Amino acid sequence: MSNRHLFLVPKFITTPSQNGVGRYVCQLQRVVLKFCKNNGGSRGMREFIEHDLINYTKDNPGTVVYLKPRRHRGPVICAEYLNGEKQSIFCNNFSCEEIAKWLNLLLTQSGNHEGTRLRKMWHTENPSVQGPWTPYTFRDPTLNLAKFPNVDLSTPLSCPKTATEHLLELFEKQKNEKFENEKLD
Amino acid sequence: MAALKRVQQWATFARIWHVFDASWQNPFESAELLKKYLMGLHKPIYHPMNDCGDHVIVINSLDIALPGDEWKKRVYFHHTGYPGGATWTLAWDLHKKDPTLRRYTMERLHIFPDLNVPQSLMKNVSNQIRQIRPVPKRLDAYSEKEVKEFPKIIDLPKDYILR
Repeated sequence: MSNRHLFLVPKFITTPSQNGVGRYVCQLQRVVLKFCKNNGGSRGMREFIEHDLINYTKDNPGTVVYLKPRRHRGPVICAEYLNGEKQSIFCNNFSCEEIAKWLNLLLTQSGNHEGTRLRKMWHTENPSVQGPWTPYTFRDPTLNLAKFPNVDLSTPLSCPKTATEHLLELFEKQKNEKFENEKLD
Repeated sequence: MAALKRVQQWATFARIWHVFDASWQNPFESAELLKKYLMGLHKPIYHPMNDCGDHVIVINSLDIALPGDEWKKRVYFHHTGYPGGATWTLAWDLHKKDPTLRRYTMERLHIFPDLNVPQSLMKNVSNQIRQIRPVPKRLDAYSEKEVKEFPKIIDLPKDYILR
């Protein structure tokens, strides 16, 4: 069994202040695209900047995009969220489409979720319609007034008839039959 | 946590006190029954990582009934650690010495040899656990009239010696 999950922080799905209910605030505030003008590893990034970046910024006016050319260093996307979290993705040799997909992910997620493990794939504030269970739900109301220890509450519920009781019943039946026969005579 | 949710939490994890009458009950079968209450296995919220065990007060532990010849044959071993420090105590002997024995891990099990339970504990009780088997009625519990009127299968001869 792998132990990798031990270092992940277990979390529940959350939304910052009910984002998306009534209004939507994009949680991605700032993106810095770092790339090299010469290096082949940054080729996809350069292509993205050349062809798609203008459309990206026009579609998302709430996000600030910075470009940071730097010599002989790998391409990196640095994202900053509204809650102050930072996330950086090293995208060496990524194609233009791949970078567009990563940027879309950063745009749509609510924060940096790296290093976290979702404890459940769903979350609800009201897990039960009838209310959570307590020891007092479905309780027999007669117990409220009972005095403990109580003999009636202590005896087992299902007791099969013993041989002695069966014999006594037969004897009673026999006695009654005899009595009725005498009456008839 | 909101005030209402906090109260909800207290209500869900409230510890219930049960009382169990051990008279004429097999302790080995009773242990299986009481284990569920002590561990909280009877609750829908049970999880091995949450602490939801209940308290159980066992009364009349002096009158437990071991099956068969267990009183004579069951042996409890103890060694003091010194040479020759081994002792073997029979079940009846140990029961005579202390009828309220339990393991130290079962802190929520309260055993009393008779009906005398401190009022501070008894006032917490809100449920009674049913016994496993009915308590038999002994001959000395019947009145003399009932004994006389009890149907006889045969008439014993006059010179028959009753032991």
